[in-house]
Amino acid sequence: MTDIALSARPRNRSVAQRILAGAWTSTEMKVAVFIFAALAVLTVVAPFIIDASATKITVADRFLPPIFMEGGRYPYFLGTDQLGRDLLLRSLIGLRNAFAIGIVSVVIMFVIGCAIGIYSGYRGGWVDVILMRITDVQMSIPVVILAITILGMSRPNPFTVIAVLVLASWPAYARVARSVTLAERQKEYVRAAKILGASDIRIMALHIAPSILPSIAFVAVLDIARMMIFEAIFGFIGIGIQPPTPTFGTIISTGTQYLLNAWWITIVPGFLLALALTSLNLMGGVLERSRNLVLQGQL
Amino acid sequence: MASKPIVRVENLSVLLEGGGEPRPVLADISFDVAPRSVLGIIGESGSGKTVLSNALVNWIKLPLRVTSGQVLYQGRNLLGLPEHEMAKLRGREIAYIGANPTIALDPTIPVGHQIVEKLREVEPGISREAARKRVIDTLDAVRIPSAARRFDEYPFQFSGGMMQRAMIVDALVSNPKLLIADNITQPLDVTVAAQIIRLLRDLQSDFETSIVFISSALGVVSDIADDVIVINAGRIVERQTAARITSAPEHAYTRDLIAKVPRLWAAAETPEPTLLDDMMLEVRDVERTYVVPNHTKLFGENHVRAVRGVTFDVRRGESFGLIGESGCGKSTLSRLLSSIEQPDKGTIKVEGRDIAGLKGKPLLDMRRRFQLLLQDPYNAVPAHASVGRTIEEPLRIHGLASGAALKARVRDVMAEVGLSPDLYESLPVGLSAGQRQRINIARALILEPSLMILDETLSALDQVEQARLLALFEVLQRRHGITYLYISHDLTMVRRVCARIGVMYLGRIVELADNQTIFETPAHPYTRTLLSSILTVEPKPFRPETYLLEGEPPDPIHIPTGCSFRTRCPFAFDRCATDDPELAADADGNGAACHLAPGQMPPPTILPATTGPLAAPNA
Repeated sequence: MTDIALSARPRNRSVAQRILAGAWTSTEMKVAVFIFAALAVLTVVAPFIIDASATKITVADRFLPPIFMEGGRYPYFLGTDQLGRDLLLRSLIGLRNAFAIGIVSVVIMFVIGCAIGIYSGYRGGWVDVILMRITDVQMSIPVVILAITILGMSRPNPFTVIAVLVLASWPAYARVARSVTLAERQKEYVRAAKILGASDIRIMALHIAPSILPSIAFVAVLDIARMMIFEAIFGFIGIGIQPPTPTFGTIISTGTQYLLNAWWITIVPGFLLALALTSLNLMGGVLERSRNLVLQGQL
Repeated sequence: MASKPIVRVENLSVLLEGGGEPRPVLADISFDVAPRSVLGIIGESGSGKTVLSNALVNWIKLPLRVTSGQVLYQGRNLLGLPEHEMAKLRGREIAYIGANPTIALDPTIPVGHQIVEKLREVEPGISREAARKRVIDTLDAVRIPSAARRFDEYPFQFSGGMMQRAMIVDALVSNPKLLIADNITQPLDVTVAAQIIRLLRDLQSDFETSIVFISSALGVVSDIADDVIVINAGRIVERQTAARITSAPEHAYTRDLIAKVPRLWAAAETPEPTLLDDMMLEVRDVERTYVVPNHTKLFGENHVRAVRGVTFDVRRGESFGLIGESGCGKSTLSRLLSSIEQPDKGTIKVEGRDIAGLKGKPLLDMRRRFQLLLQDPYNAVPAHASVGRTIEEPLRIHGLASGAALKARVRDVMAEVGLSPDLYESLPVGLSAGQRQRINIARALILEPSLMILDETLSALDQVEQARLLALFEVLQRRHGITYLYISHDLTMVRRVCARIGVMYLGRIVELADNQTIFETPAHPYTRTLLSSILTVEPKPFRPETYLLEGEPPDPIHIPTGCSFRTRCPFAFDRCATDDPELAADADGNGAACHLAPGQMPPPTILPATTGPLAAPNA
């Protein structure tokens, strides 16, 4: 909190610009953005510059430790797995998949959930009752059971995985958005907008949404991490994206068998996952604090 | 002073730090509070009153800092006490009541239980039953009706006035030696405020408590206090007895302050009536009933009759006032007039067009003609949008301008209402209530309406800001020919600006007359009650002893038969219980819904110099 500068007070920049500028002044934000950007660049560029393969099996090179340990050798920077495939490349591809699935599924569930929640809360009455009972039904089905049912029956690919995650998680957003909307629609500014002649859709999208969504969005950032973990769990129990495409789940689940003599197979993807999630959470947190400071008029 | 003072403040100075230059908030304040006395502290907003009241209970927090002086309570310096020692005194011996009772209570716990909790905290030995009994007794003492039942009710079931009384119980239940009341009457209706003041005076003699009463309303302070301190810009400018402060003020600032208090009777400023016959707003027999579930019966329903047949006209270019206590249906009426809700019966015509039943595009077009300004400047302006964006919104909704033209129009309106165009991109967060209300006004004004409904728009502001905005309204009226409908409980303001006034009670207009008749020769006892409860610095023609009501209006579910005012009317007789009086206007358009003949109420004690035509109530 303290390292967000309080001195600069630009007057004629827009609110969004001030939030970003405020966030950028903190060291945490710079570190997080750097880590995130580095990982993003690595996932894109690494397959082209590293002279190794994520999928080609080379039995002679199996169980090579990372390059900084005794026995490690170029170009296997972080060692190889039980089939001699380069672990760094495999993990980066896993990270890319996990990220894409995590972000896309959270965005979709956030949009769907909040739209249903705001609509339900704003309308009230029977619309509210029906929509909320549907969310109740959806909420009562555990994620893993839903995943086993859907992914077990169809061929698991990124789209079905995203669909399962969205289906399992939108009710939470609908619930939260609805309860905040219930409080928000009583407020005077909503009445003021009605007096001005604003339509219901306009009130929901331009008046209620901007005041309630940012705090929900902060939780949604944390949810990206949760979705990535779910994706890894699906891979771990074998209903995720199928081999040979590397995912965190499959790498870690096979790596556990060799934990004693080749610990890096599980540690490397875990470490990358942790690094990515930390940077994401840091950014979310700093942006949220910066927004609060702007809204409190301190920035 | 004969006896030892209970509190002595010596050379207290407080500095505001942080941001730019350190700024003194209080400078060299010294005074005593004698035991069993009421000390009034008066000053405009920003004079340091609230900081002083906080200093008395050692609540000075950063960025405020006490630079010198002490607050001696029975010889101990409170400012030097460690926090746990202070916590023992607070609530136990020193009690504090703030201005906003609605946020001081926990909404999830019944009111009585919260007070019991506090009592058991300050008196750990007391048994649960004894605590309960004592709280109910004290609730009785502040005249909360059926205290034993109210004990188990939640804060949302209490009205503002009852909540303030509950706060007084909360403060008094531990028999404190000192009570600090910071601006407790400001948000209340005049009748309720008068009751609270009378109550505090009674309690003060019963409980032998000393009171420090802080307010910006001179009338209230001079009414309750024994001694009065006047604060200006953090310094005491005058100390006087309450009687002398209004009759023989010594300091120029005090004289100025007294001169600024608007007068209701002696040399009152009143507006010129408009004689045009062009009707801006015609309201005919409008009714609105809400159906709410009755929880005592399965499938039971209660009918809340919020507005019960209201009829009045507003002429173009006129300022019309609607007054009444809270709960009289004013706000429902404002919702009906602004077409947020539809009336169950009756018609509302704006510029000759019935707005009931309008939908879609025609309604959107009509909305440009009339605008409602809301009461609460803090909630009516969204916190997440910049000032300029908020004022742009109506133009965007109606599709009236875009791009540079839109920005230019917003800047023009901002300048017109006295907002600096530099505020365009800033959020409303640091702005004062007055500035926020200007945003509100700008947002309505940008549509160039011909009718503005002001629903308690100015009641959250202090007198100085109120006067400024009233002046702004007058300028806008002259420039754009806007018609105003003031809905308010502030009689002083209505006296100043409204040519014609309707008095509402329980969803009905009980008296409708011109300004002079309402204030000088009102024909309805309820109007007289309202006038008698005004706390002011001048002599009143209607004495509270004759008219002041006890309790609150009956709830609009169980409206008394016959005349709805009879349950509180000091002059009610047999006929009132059976016949519902009708409001019939005389030749001048004045009239009251009352069975009393003109001579049946005591005449005004001080007859105003200029007497208007006497309103003839239909007997």
